[in-house]
Amino acid sequence: MQISLQQVVPDFFETGKSNGSQLWNQSLSFSTGENIHIVAPSGSGKTSLIHFLYGLRKDYSGHILYDNNDIKNFDAEKFSTWRQQNISIIFQDLRLFTQQTVLENLEIKRLLFPYHKESRITAMAKRLGIENKLTKLCSTCSYGEQQRIAIIRALQQPFDFLLLDEPFSHLDENNRQKAMELMQEEATERKAAIILTDLKKIDYFQAERMLYL
Amino acid sequence: MPLSYKNIAPFLKAGQNKVSRWLSYIGLGVGVLLLLSSVQMYTNINHLIRDKNSRKSGTDFISITKTITNDNMGKDNRFTDGDIKELQAQPFIDGAAPLKANAFKVTANAGNMIPFSTDVFVEALDNNFIDTVPSGFKWTEGDEFVPVIFSSEFLEMYNVFAPSWDLPQMSEKTASSVQLFLQCHGRDGNRQYKAKIVAFSDRINSILVPEKFLAQQNKALEGVENVPASRVFLKTKDANNPQLLTYLAEKNYHVNKDKTKFGRVKGVLQAIVSGLAGFGVLVILLALVLFSFYLQLMIARSKDNLQLLLTLGYSPGWLSKTVAQKWIPVYTAIIVAAVVATQLLHLGFQHFVTPARDELPLLIDWIVLLIAILLLALSIAINYRLVKKSLLKL
Repeated sequence: MQISLQQVVPDFFETGKSNGSQLWNQSLSFSTGENIHIVAPSGSGKTSLIHFLYGLRKDYSGHILYDNNDIKNFDAEKFSTWRQQNISIIFQDLRLFTQQTVLENLEIKRLLFPYHKESRITAMAKRLGIENKLTKLCSTCSYGEQQRIAIIRALQQPFDFLLLDEPFSHLDENNRQKAMELMQEEATERKAAIILTDLKKIDYFQAERMLYL
Repeated sequence: MPLSYKNIAPFLKAGQNKVSRWLSYIGLGVGVLLLLSSVQMYTNINHLIRDKNSRKSGTDFISITKTITNDNMGKDNRFTDGDIKELQAQPFIDGAAPLKANAFKVTANAGNMIPFSTDVFVEALDNNFIDTVPSGFKWTEGDEFVPVIFSSEFLEMYNVFAPSWDLPQMSEKTASSVQLFLQCHGRDGNRQYKAKIVAFSDRINSILVPEKFLAQQNKALEGVENVPASRVFLKTKDANNPQLLTYLAEKNYHVNKDKTKFGRVKGVLQAIVSGLAGFGVLVILLALVLFSFYLQLMIARSKDNLQLLLTLGYSPGWLSKTVAQKWIPVYTAIIVAAVVATQLLHLGFQHFVTPARDELPLLIDWIVLLIAILLLALSIAINYRLVKKSLLKL
């Protein structure tokens, strides 16, 4: 799978704001197997970019293509197919079902298009140190724990692209590394690409391409 | 394990509005019962009243005339070709044939055998409309006698007054063997024919002769070819059809009330039952609207969760189908219960209202079952569309 950007500029950008960006208003493509690191300060449109790529928002000019299909023409049904099998995401604002247990949050994603067996959830939770939280309500978990739940949830499906929007903002260094290792292993297993946005460069993310917004 | 409603149920906040849900279930049940039992009653009424008058062939024959009033008394009240064509064109009339009458005078006598002579009228009718047409009911010039079909009622009348006139009473068989003479007088001459009764008719109160005989005498004796008919015979599936009766009344045609008296009762009963069915449809619609409010409320309450499910990759089509399917067993149970109740009401109707009859079928009509299945499909389709529309709006 390939994701292509053709002169994409957010509608809300003031004229000239995209000047000097290596991504906005450029033509470039990302392919499976690549690791792409996008670094930018706050307010430069990192979250907007991830939302554009995932198809949550359409307030931009230019085109984003999944293979050769312009996603502005997709309806909700078509997006659901791509999201089940080709693109997974970790939102900056996590987007968990706070009134459900941790396990329910993970299972609802896994069951949609199962890539792993249920036992793998426990193994992943153990690896990221939240195995004792599985039966707890999500709302009772700390933000750092919820961030790890969101990471594990994103890994329950098949994907060609894993979109990460500042996924470690509330994790300590040790947990960041563990989570990154897990995600890279899972991406490698699927021969998938990772697109990671963050405020600064993350050393333990082995990126082939580094882009500044 | 395939995904099912059970998996997404914890994410839907459904349990808050039980009252409106149960009210909609009860409403649906009552509405469906009203509609189904009304339809069943409608078919029962049709069945019972049609059976009253129908012939073995399942067709009714009635004769109509134009109603004579003080206003139209001196005018020509016979049927024109246009009138007959219009009658034939009506969907509830299977056929219309004029009773052609004689334009010449006819006197009938039985020769020396029975000293009896009377002026009579003769008529001719399309053979398809006569209940008893023997093979010999045709005539060509030179035949030994003219075949006649005689009304059974006329023979009965004759037998009533015959003794007081010192005439012999006659059975149908004897009457058939009597040699009759028809004296035909007209502007252009007189003719005498031998005649013989070849059949008796219960249906037609007249003396029928073959069409060819009548046409030839009308032409030869009076010089007329097409005598307009005063009576028209109608063939219809149901002489009590309210549509037919309304049409005849509108056209001011007179029809034997005895043959159609059930039609008026049937009209009233069918109007009542139709009203009940209409009310049933209204109740069903209200119940479906109430249930749609319940669904919309559930979707509004679960908006955030449903939005997140869609974001995670759940398809709106699958979610709508799964949520709508959840109520299939409930809807099926409600509609099956209504069908069972309709069957019980039907049995009750047979037992208490028509105890001496066995002419109604034991089971409810297939159309009632068809309506029940259609209602079930309609309810599920409405729920599916509603949920999908609401989801796509999120």
